[in-house]
Amino acid sequence: MPTPVVTKPTYDTASETAGRPGTLDAMKRLWTPAWIVRHVAMVVLVVGFLALGWWQISRAASGNTLSWAYAVQWPIFAGFVVFVWWRELRHTLRGRSTLASGAAAAPGEPVTPGDAASPRSTPAVRRPVRVTRVPATGGGPEDADLAEYNRYLTWLNANPGAKPGDYPG
Amino acid sequence: MGGALTRYRVIAWIVGVALVVLVLIGMPLKYAADEPIVVEVVGTAHGWLYMLYLAATFDLGRRVNWPLKRMLLVMLAGTVPFVSFVAERKVTRELAARLGEQIPEPVAAG
Repeated sequence: MPTPVVTKPTYDTASETAGRPGTLDAMKRLWTPAWIVRHVAMVVLVVGFLALGWWQISRAASGNTLSWAYAVQWPIFAGFVVFVWWRELRHTLRGRSTLASGAAAAPGEPVTPGDAASPRSTPAVRRPVRVTRVPATGGGPEDADLAEYNRYLTWLNANPGAKPGDYPG
Repeated sequence: MGGALTRYRVIAWIVGVALVVLVLIGMPLKYAADEPIVVEVVGTAHGWLYMLYLAATFDLGRRVNWPLKRMLLVMLAGTVPFVSFVAERKVTRELAARLGEQIPEPVAAG
């Protein structure tokens, strides 16, 4: 039995339908089974952590001074959960779903649109990639700084929309 | 990435040691010998250091493109005594193999 021939799209069709934040398509991408699990886990963890913080406050009020520190720490952990949830949410809405595909691309590997092996939408804003380091030519610390800055600019140019904090170098 | 991995390894080791001290020394002293000083000092310090551990793990996972599940598992590994050391070695070996670089072993290893 011959295997069916799958024709790859020659252009990036995914980017045309990529869900922007606020659109119905964006909401659908956050309502997959995997994402529902994440939403539930986020709510459960935040409520649980805040409850633990409240419990520590009651312990601290009844004389356990050590509990004051824990009463501060639990809400911070809850905030961290929200931060990770929000970041993954934004990441998904930006385009490529590294979470759904499970295996993330190796750093430095170019993002190939329409790759049949890993069907994923190509993002408008790509993930930060590792830039090949070019050793600075010429002597002097200024040249090294300049080369480093040029590498940074190259990376920014290759990743439009990326924040400076995403720079992997 | 090398810097992020080093930061992760350092804080993972510190948090791992603090947790072992807390569980194996602090807890028996507090509940068996009624001497809570170790728990008070190490317990509080461990809470704050674990935050640094979370931040370092998050930073490393972001740079090497870990899936969310792996990042969370590595973070959770830091809460189990001794497992944190295993996780640190696993992460280091995997990333070293991926990079094809020599990651320096801890002093006096083996």
